[in-house]
Amino acid sequence: MKFLRIKAIAKKELIQIWRDPLSLAIALLMPVMQLFIYGYAITFDVNNITTIVYDQDRSSLSRELVAQFRESGYFTLVADVDNYKDIDAYLDSNKARVAITIPYDFSKKVLTGRNAHVEVIIDGSDSNTATIAEGYIAAISLRYPQRVTTKTITPVMDPRTRVWFNPELKSRNFIIPGLIAVIMSVVVALLTSLTVAREWERGTMEQLISTPVKTSELIIGKLTPYFAIGFMDMILAVLVGVTLFGVPLRGNIVLLVALSSVFLFGTVSFGVLISIIAKGSQSVASQIAILSTMLPAFLLSGFMFAISNMRKPLQVITYIFPARYFVTILKGIFLKGSTLTLLWSNGLMLAIASALVFFLAIKNFHKRMY
Amino acid sequence: MNQIDSAVKVEGLTRRFDDFVAVNGINLDIGKGEIFGFLGPNGAGKSTTIKMLCGLLLPSSGKGSVGGHDIMTGAEEIKKNIGYMSQKFSLYDDLTVKENIRFFSGMYGVRGEKRKKRMEWTLEMAGLNDRRDVIVGELPGGFKQRLALGCAILHEPPILLLDEPTSGVDPLSRRNFWDLINEMSGSGTTVFVTTHYMDEADYCHRLALIYRGRIIAEGTPMELRERYMKRHVMEIEVESMVEALDILERKGMDAAIFGSLLHATVEDVAQGIADIRKTLESADIKVNRIEHIVPSLEDVFVTLIEVA
Amino acid sequence: MRERITQMIVKEFLKTLRDRRRWMLLFGAPILQLFLFGYVVTTDVNNISTALYDLDKSQESRELARRLEASGYFVVRYAAQSPGEIRDLIDRGEVLCAIQINRDFAKDLKRRIPTEIQVIVDGTDSNTAMVALSYATKVIAKYASEQGANTVGAVLFPLDFRTRVWYNPDLKSRNYNVSGVIASIIMITCIMLTSMAIVREREVGTMEQLMVTPIRPVELMLGKTIPFAIIGLLDMFIVTLAGVLWFGITIKGSLLLVLMGTSVYLLSILGIGLFTSTILKTQQQSLLATMFFNMPAMLLSGFMFPIENMPVIFQYITYLDPLRYFLVIIRGIFLKGNGFDILWPQMAALFVLGTVIITISSFRFRKRLG
Repeated sequence: MKFLRIKAIAKKELIQIWRDPLSLAIALLMPVMQLFIYGYAITFDVNNITTIVYDQDRSSLSRELVAQFRESGYFTLVADVDNYKDIDAYLDSNKARVAITIPYDFSKKVLTGRNAHVEVIIDGSDSNTATIAEGYIAAISLRYPQRVTTKTITPVMDPRTRVWFNPELKSRNFIIPGLIAVIMSVVVALLTSLTVAREWERGTMEQLISTPVKTSELIIGKLTPYFAIGFMDMILAVLVGVTLFGVPLRGNIVLLVALSSVFLFGTVSFGVLISIIAKGSQSVASQIAILSTMLPAFLLSGFMFAISNMRKPLQVITYIFPARYFVTILKGIFLKGSTLTLLWSNGLMLAIASALVFFLAIKNFHKRMY
Repeated sequence: MNQIDSAVKVEGLTRRFDDFVAVNGINLDIGKGEIFGFLGPNGAGKSTTIKMLCGLLLPSSGKGSVGGHDIMTGAEEIKKNIGYMSQKFSLYDDLTVKENIRFFSGMYGVRGEKRKKRMEWTLEMAGLNDRRDVIVGELPGGFKQRLALGCAILHEPPILLLDEPTSGVDPLSRRNFWDLINEMSGSGTTVFVTTHYMDEADYCHRLALIYRGRIIAEGTPMELRERYMKRHVMEIEVESMVEALDILERKGMDAAIFGSLLHATVEDVAQGIADIRKTLESADIKVNRIEHIVPSLEDVFVTLIEVA
Repeated sequence: MRERITQMIVKEFLKTLRDRRRWMLLFGAPILQLFLFGYVVTTDVNNISTALYDLDKSQESRELARRLEASGYFVVRYAAQSPGEIRDLIDRGEVLCAIQINRDFAKDLKRRIPTEIQVIVDGTDSNTAMVALSYATKVIAKYASEQGANTVGAVLFPLDFRTRVWYNPDLKSRNYNVSGVIASIIMITCIMLTSMAIVREREVGTMEQLMVTPIRPVELMLGKTIPFAIIGLLDMFIVTLAGVLWFGITIKGSLLLVLMGTSVYLLSILGIGLFTSTILKTQQQSLLATMFFNMPAMLLSGFMFPIENMPVIFQYITYLDPLRYFLVIIRGIFLKGNGFDILWPQMAALFVLGTVIITISSFRFRKRLG
């Protein structure tokens, strides 16, 4: 293997990347944009539940209850209604998700120590929000009695909740570490998969394979610049995540960089493999790339959707994807401060997967036309 | 020619694509320093053949060697000793002239002083001395062609394989290009060229005519003319060409349109002239000129194809 | 004119059908996405691995534990013996949640002294954590209200919230997500492929050839976008069919309305594809640019993350996202049986957006070609 040839190919790729500033800009900006969206815009936090109230009682006690909802910070009261038809209209047209009906005998029952019922209607279409809303409502049901009288009230049970590792339950802490895996998969695999296909489409590949260059030299040369871009993306993602979004980085940075490089290597190799499969069509290559890297990284890596929630067969399938191991590693290093002792099995799987893909790429790239 | 003097020697070279036989049992024996032309219409199998010789395509069957290396098993070895120029002049359109040269130097292992020298030589040869930093995509066709050739011979290979190197290039550039080829052949480089321009055939030492995957004729340009043209070619200039063609054909004569003139083949010159003149004039077609000409290779080819 | 357009459409289809890879991608990919999204993106949280640290070991504490498990949400896998063990179990990811019941639980209950229950969750997955907390609170609250009903005395007991869930009574996220997939599936196809198809001609050089024919810009535009509109509609149909047959989702509303909404949506989608093709030169740029648009468009559309939870500025941005409106339309029709009277604002918005984009695009298109 001649270093001279690898250098020549890597240099050519670099020049070509540089001469297409638009692509380069997008390649570098896309991660930042994703970070912003995931960091600022997206949240699993449920705290703006549109609510309407049908208060049939209109007593100070009922108003106190409504105040509880408002002050919890989770419910946004959008209207007071005075009939059931309005409830239908609001819920049907997505103007409210929760409708509370306080019956006319509410305060009477509360004051005489009998079970006071409150009707709640929840829009279940978005079951996630609905479930969490139910939890909030349950919490209010436990706290309400404490607020209402001056007598010493004994709440029967008081659930004290403690959240470890992510006390403010910031979705972003949860999402951003795994996001680095997704970012790299998307941009890097996509670009790499296109590079080989493009040379076929333009005819330069034919010329290239008529020279003495070896397959391994060609592939390594082509991978190198994209590896560099992916590396930059990763550093950028980590920096923005930690400085701008305050995601904690509790573990070892060197370990992070090392394992990320392993993942990156596997991803670029996979990109080459895709372009081999796509047999020289850029549009086919890009579709395959999206399907086989972005989707799994997004859905099956545990990045956002916990693997433990998935059905068993799917859980098994996730073992195929390197992104899964990488996301576990990322979350471990960022949020739990895990060390190699804890992560070694994931690290090993990652290394094996990456090496395997690289060898597959080299083995299947033939310096021949068909 | 014995093995040692042959640069390219193949036997029974065949290539199938599913059911379609693109190249059917081709034999070649090309000596060192020869300029060998491979002529034929589009789709005849020229590109497929040359790609097999380069090691780019694996033959379905056949045997032989290029530059001493086996075409079935020694593809990578072959590539070390050849320069290949593909049909599309595959240069990198988004790189500059210099960057392309440097890149291919790297591919062929040409470095240091040698690289500098070859770079200068190539720029000079291609007339791109003052356009080193121009992006190749912006160059006119003629320059691209010469640059592509230059990039293919940076390592001064003993064998050159050129696939339609002059297609789409203006006649002057074509002429210059062939001068270059001649120069290289003079210094011992073997050149295998495919083309569909019949007039370029005369620049070659030897030719093979290929049609539908088979070689239908082979020899020097002169040999081809003499061997295959038993009959004589008459060039006819008339007013109404299409009508004249029709009449001649109805009379049973072999005729075809060549540009703005008609060519007809006859057994005997004098008799032929008389016959043609009589036939056309009796149909009220004015004959401006009938002349016995030396057959061009195109004439040869058309004749051969009709036979095949 | 119609002849030329038809020819172009036929050509595009032939190209696709001849290449097996291509049509596998076009029709297989959406199904794959449907299944992945349908099974993975389940925010339904079940079988939460739990550790129980019961210091009381009374009938009442065991009853609480039983209820937690009976709810179907929690699975008690470990009986912890110390706080250290809890820490360890959560650290290693063996349990997501730990419940600690203190020593005098039963006694305090009887004596009406407030008694504390510790609910500890692993916050790395904030959504699961929140949902787990919600479930726990619900179960505890229910238990508490029943306990209260059994005692007599000057004590206020918790409220009884009677909740009803509309539209999706089982609170399965399936319907919501699958309808979301149906809506978003054509976005990537239509935008990316339309853009790439046009740009490809430019990149490979056949655009010039087209330009010397008598073809008019309008015909070229239609010829290039209609195939993908058809493919998009087919995709949507296939995915909907699969959704209904396999996932059992229901369509409560009118199919005609679905068709109408889809047509209006296609206006904007194809327009965007057209627009990008007027500013880009290579397929790679096309791919990257459409991804750059698609990603935020999907994330901010309300597909997975409710818009009302986003910061206000992002909520404003979503008004420019066609998918946002289309999601409301699809979900409204599928889940709530909404009619035109409720959905007309979304339809109108799509129509306006679409018309504007197409106008700008065709203007640019003409300029580019002419």
